[in-house]
This record gives sequence, C-alpha cells and structure tokens, in this order.
Amino acid sequence: MEQIVDINNLSRSFGSNTALDGVSFRATAGQVYGLVGANGAGKTTLLKHVLGLLRATSGSVRVFGLDPVRDPVGALSRVGYLSEERELPEWMRVDELMRYTQAFHPTWDASYARELLESFELDSSKKIKELSKGMRAQAALIAAVAHRPELLILDEPSSGLDAMVRRDILDAIVRTVADDGRTVIFSSHLLDEVERMSDHVTLMHHGRVTVSGRLDDVRGGYQRSRVWFGQHFDQPPVLDTALAIEGGGRSWSVVHTGSLEQFHHAVLALGGEVVESRDATLEEIFLARAGRSRQQVEAA
Amino acid sequence: MMRSPGFSPVSALLWENWRLTRREGAQRFAQGIIVAGAVLAWSAAFGAIGTNTARWAFFLVGMTYVPLWVSVAKLNGGRFMDGYRPGYPFYFLYTRPVPTFVLVGAPIAYLVASAVAGYVASALVLRAAFGYPFPLLSVAACIAAFHIAQWAAQWGTSNKVVQWLGSMPAGLGIMALAFWRFREWPARFDFLIGDYALLTLIGVASFGLTVAGVARQRRGDARAFNPRTTTRDGFSDWLAGLVRFPCPTTSATRAQVWFDLRSSGLLVLAIGAALAMLLPLLFAVSGPIAAVRPYAIGVSAFAWPAALLFLPGNAFGIRRRQGHAFASTFEATLPRKTAPLAGVKVLVRTACVVAALIVVGLSAWASLSLVSGWMSAAQKMAIGPAFWELPSSQRGALVGPEAHGVLLLQHTIQQTFGALAGSQLVALAIVIAIGVAVLVALRAAHAALRARYPRRLNIATWMLLVHGLVLVLLALAVRRGIASALALDTILRGTKWTVAAGTVFATVYLFWSLLRERLLPPRQAGVALLASAAFGAAWFTLLGAGGLHIASMPAIDAAWMLSPALLPLTACVLAPWSLSRIRHT
Repeated sequence: MEQIVDINNLSRSFGSNTALDGVSFRATAGQVYGLVGANGAGKTTLLKHVLGLLRATSGSVRVFGLDPVRDPVGALSRVGYLSEERELPEWMRVDELMRYTQAFHPTWDASYARELLESFELDSSKKIKELSKGMRAQAALIAAVAHRPELLILDEPSSGLDAMVRRDILDAIVRTVADDGRTVIFSSHLLDEVERMSDHVTLMHHGRVTVSGRLDDVRGGYQRSRVWFGQHFDQPPVLDTALAIEGGGRSWSVVHTGSLEQFHHAVLALGGEVVESRDATLEEIFLARAGRSRQQVEAA
Repeated sequence: MMRSPGFSPVSALLWENWRLTRREGAQRFAQGIIVAGAVLAWSAAFGAIGTNTARWAFFLVGMTYVPLWVSVAKLNGGRFMDGYRPGYPFYFLYTRPVPTFVLVGAPIAYLVASAVAGYVASALVLRAAFGYPFPLLSVAACIAAFHIAQWAAQWGTSNKVVQWLGSMPAGLGIMALAFWRFREWPARFDFLIGDYALLTLIGVASFGLTVAGVARQRRGDARAFNPRTTTRDGFSDWLAGLVRFPCPTTSATRAQVWFDLRSSGLLVLAIGAALAMLLPLLFAVSGPIAAVRPYAIGVSAFAWPAALLFLPGNAFGIRRRQGHAFASTFEATLPRKTAPLAGVKVLVRTACVVAALIVVGLSAWASLSLVSGWMSAAQKMAIGPAFWELPSSQRGALVGPEAHGVLLLQHTIQQTFGALAGSQLVALAIVIAIGVAVLVALRAAHAALRARYPRRLNIATWMLLVHGLVLVLLALAVRRGIASALALDTILRGTKWTVAAGTVFATVYLFWSLLRERLLPPRQAGVALLASAAFGAAWFTLLGAGGLHIASMPAIDAAWMLSPALLPLTACVLAPWSLSRIRHT
C-alpha cells in the first residue's frame, strides 16, 4: 500500500517542554487514522509537522515522500486541513473563501463544494465573522475537502459542532474520503468518535506514542477482567500484565495486556479467580495508558 | 510564574492592571528619556541647548504619556482602529462582589498613577542630566486629567461615535490649556489656581460619567463591551467589505494579489486618499482662518514622511492575540512556495504605498499653490524673479513668515527637480520605488522575526539604542572637550564598517541559506539581482547628480557610498527567509 505519511523518530521541544519525544507514525492510503490523547499530549504538534508548520528539528517527516517544509506546494496541494481554531480570514465572504481556495487547487470540485454548501445550508454571501462557530467549521471543512485531497487532516474536528452535525456530516465526509481510497488523519479526545470512525488508532501521552495499530488489534490486545480474591487486599494486588487496577478488598477490576491464560495464571497464583473478561474499550485503554484510572490517580 | 496576591479585590484589580501594562509602562519610560535625552544631547553637542530644542524635548517626553499610546486599544482587546471595541474592558469583573465605583476607580487610579509617576521620573532624570527645569506638578495634573477624561469616553460607552466625539473636547481642551501655558516655558510655566480647579473638575466629572456608564453596562441597560473573539475586525474589515471585486480563480498568484489588496492594500490606499483630501482642505480653510496655517504647513510637511514611515508596516500580516504573535495558519497551509508568497505580499504593499505616496505628494504640491489665498494683492505682486534674490528676512517681511515658509518649500522643490535631467529623474523614481519596496520588505521581515525570535530581537534593538545613546553622549563629551575626537571618529568608523560588513555577511549567508533550503527559485534570485543592479545604477546616477564623484574618491569611501545598492538584495533574501521562519517554526 502507498505510504502517505512517514514520520520517523520525531522529537520536538518548546523551551524546556518536550512536546514530541521520538514519535514514529505511518499512514497508508485509504485508511482513517485517529489520534487520541489528553490536552497537551502532542497531537496538534504532530499534525503541524505533517503540514510543515513546524520544522522537524530531530527525526524526519515525509508526506507523499516529500519534506513538507522544503516542498510545501508538492505536499500541501494534496492535503486538506481543518484546524482546531477554524482560523479563516474574518473579512471574507463564504463565496470569496471558496473562490480564493479554489485558485490554489486545480483539482477543485466546484459542484461538490456547492453540494456541501447546500447540505450545510450555508449562506455564501455571509462574512466569515458573521457565522456561528459551527457554521465556521462547516465552511472550513468545505474549503478543506472540495479539492478532493489525497490526505485530509482534521485537528479536533468535532470542536464546536453539535451532535447532529458531527455524526451525520463529519462522519459521512470522513467515510467518503476513505472509501475513495484517500487517507484521513484526525485528532480527537472524543474516544467514541475515534472508535466509530477510525481504522487505526494512535494513543499519545506526554509527547510519546503509547499505543498504535489497527483499532481491532488494539482493542483485542487489552482486556478488562473482573477478579475475585479469597483474601482481602488493602493495596492493589501486583499482577504482571496489569496496566490499571480499580476496586478494593476482594473484588478488583483490571485492565491488562497479554494472553488471557497468562493473566488467569497470575490471578490464580495470588489465590484469586477471574470472574469475567471482555475486550477493553478504547476509553479504558486510554485511561490505563495515560495513567488516569481511578486507582492510579489515588496511588499518585 | 506570577501569582495574584490574594489580599483584597482592589489589590487583585491593581495587580491585574500592572500585569497588563507593566511592559508598556517600562517601554514608555525608557522611550521618553531616550528620545528627549537624545534631542537634548544632540543639541548640546553643537552648542548650548536652545529654547526650541528644550521645548521639543519637553513636548516629546510629555507626549509619551498621552493616553492614546496607552493600552486603550489593548485593554479593549485590539489595536487602535483595528478590532478596537469601546466599553469597559474588564467585563468579567461584573460578577465580582465589588461596587462599580471600585471596578472603575482602581484601574483608573492605577493607569493615572503609572503615567504620572513615569512622567515625573522622566522629568527628574532629564532635569538632573541637562539642567532644564522640566515642570512637574502642572504637567502631572494635565496628564491625570487627560487620562481620566479619556477613560470616561473609552469605557463609559460602547458607542464608537459617542466615544470618538466625547474623547475630543476634554482632550483637546486640556492640551490647549497646556500649550497656552507652555508658550513661555522654560522662563515660566505656572498653572493658576483656576487651571488646577478646571482640571480637577474635568477629572471628577469624567470619573462620575465613567462610573455611571459602566454601571449601565453592568446592569445591562447599555450594550456591554463585546469580548473580542476574532483576530481582525474594525476599519480595515469595513473597508474590505465596502470595496468588493471578485477573487480570480485562474491562478494562485492572482488570488494572492486579490487577498493582499483586500486584506491590507485597500487600507493603505484609503489612508493615502484621506491624507490627500485633508491637505487642500486645510489650505483652503487656512485662507480665511489664519490660526489654521501652522497646522496646514505642519501636516503638509509631515504627511509624506509619515505615510512613508507608517504605511509599509507588517506586509506579512503577522497577527497578535493575547501577547502572542503568529502567522495565519490559513495562509501558511495553502500550497504556495514561501518566496513567491513573500514576493507578492511585498510587491502588493509596495504598489499601494507608492500609489498613496504619489497621491499625497501631488495633493501636497497642489495644496501649496493655495498659499496665494494667505496673501494680499500687494504681497502677491511682490513675488517675481527678483523676490528670490532678496535676503530671507526681507522676503519673510514682504509676504509674512508663514507664506514665506510655504513659498520657500515650493521654490526649493522646483529648483531641485528642475535641475535634474530626464535620466536623473528616472533614476530618482527607481530609487524611490525600489527604496519603498526595500522598506516594506525590511519592515515585514522585522515583524516576522519579532514574532519568531522576540527575545533576541529585543536584545538587538536595545543594544542598538544603547549604542546610539553612547554615540550621542560621546559627541556631547567631545563638544565639551571631555573626550577625544579621535575616539568618537574611531567608534563612528568602526560602526560604519561593522554595519557594512554585517550587511554583506548577512546577505551572503541568507542567499546561501535560501538556496540550500531550496526556498529561492532561480527566477526570483535573478529578479532580486536585477532589482539590485537597477537600484545600484540609479543610486550611482543620483550620487553624480548630487555632486559626488565616486571615481575620484578613495576606494573605501567609494565602497561605503555605494553600499546602499546592496540593500535591495538583502531585502530580497531576508523577506522570504523571515517568512519561512514564521511559516515553518
């Protein structure tokens, strides 16, 4: 499969703050990639490197095999971008925004843009500054997708959109782009959205990639088990493959990796038994990986 | 990290104001002393400080504390005439359990106290350094009253018209009073008891109006300050909406030209047109009203330099939000190479600035002819070919000093341009046009570098200022025989050659850096070289017209005289390099 984005060992610091620490990330054609992480995890910094807005000071970034800083035309002409801040020139009218963006993209599909404008019920004679936050996001989204980019980058696309717009429009656009054999990378902290839309998921925490892979593989690699011990534990029991443990006394809930059989043996060795096991949800994996499970927070 | 003191609401309000304005306060304090000190030191270097020089210095340090420069716009969330929102800016304080007069009184007290303290400290420093009796109490009272009156207009209402109209009478009244009493300074600058009473009355009335206006906004009886959510707004946006023409979709370059014209070029043209209209109006009014004549002369003399100074700024459209400067992500993510993007931005702004300068220049020239309205029939008759052979004092006595000033300016311009041959006029046009482009590019690069490397640029700026101040003080010391002229000459020569060598080194480095990063396409590099060559040739022609013969000069002096020819090349490489640094941080 064609490699669209290839990031190798990328690190970036702002003063004493490490935003990215040895991040590697690859994206291939026709897939939807969800970037998940808490605020400040490094998602936007990573996307800005893909767009060439930040220079790679350590490591390398290639988009369509090109360095987006050295060859912005080659890379950006094939990319559509929706920023978190929806930063658009306030004085422009919607139709002017469309014409202006069109001038930079020979592949601009005017009928598609018109179709989206109609479906969003956007008044093209309105100035950007007169639009609501949601309408502004819709205008920015049209400007990002109407040239049918090979790579669509969405930074927190749901921010400011109501639930209906999010599900009916954003999901549809993202799926259409992916079904056309094009690639979508989007960042979000709405885990249900990532689970619904992504083929691949990358979890980031403190500038590092903690989990990355196909969504099914990621989910299949983590289980949440309810365990019951014969003896009372004041502190969480020590289990090798456990990432997060919640509960108290004899009953504990554990998010863990590795094989279920291995986990069963570990629990048995402590005199307990596994009552129930299921694949962990993305939220449970994220919280366990980000160290935000209740038990870990309490322990901290 | 700075922590808010938790003593009382008033302390918290004062702390908030200090955090917002401390940098600007320090900047104004340094600026007042350095600018006024430089004027006085420069004058002292060439003899005793004259009364007019001292007045200028006093004027400059006083004007530093005029509230227009203060954070009126910043406190209200934008820049002056650009996203400026009138109304009480600390709207988020409405929910705090504090009476309205405290909400208004604490910030006003802080702003007034900081301005007064800044002026008094500056005046004391200048008094000690130069021995001139800069007045303290009277000017402090004027500054305080002026500030309170301005805040009444700025904060008491969110209606822009009322604000603009309201800020004028009190402000102009206080300035008129100060200027009237100022006439006899340094011999005398006393305020009468009545003057202080008037200033107190203005202050108390303004404070009352502000409290009443803010209380209305707080209760919801008047439209409250609208918190700024967008990055740009205001006059330039209004203008962009007023003049509409469709964006071309046939090429990215044309679309970029359209964008830069609409977003900033129109504003430059509008300011040029407004200035051009103001000049003949002032001259026409000054015929029947003699009091307006000094203003007509002043505005026509400063209109062109002011337009040249202010209109070329920030061609890259660097934005500021909450103290953070950045390039537009929208523009940065468009598939456009950085060098052509920088080139289009600089050229569009240059075209607009040159057009504005032409309009202002033509208007000023046409307005000068209206000076005949200032003279009687007999005075007009006196102006003939023999008039210019008379001594200056006699000419002034014949037609009046103001008319003589204008006629002299007109005559000098005529003589200067009349003496130039056709090729020299072409050379002058080339030097002005490319010079404006260089200025636009350097200002744009400065704004970009200031946003990208603020600390380094601030250090460099302060070092330059200190260096300049040292030179001025050394010149003063040489004049008084304290220091050796050789030392000053050596430092001056050293400075000159450091600047020249630095410019050459920076140009070569940037050129190499741009080529290495493949930022500068060969075609644009060729255009840069051609522009530099054209500027060099034109510069050489003008030097010849000015009586400077490069061939007969020592090689070092000749190289120095020709060094400005390198500036277009420097600007051509610095502009894309700096835009690249802020586009790809």
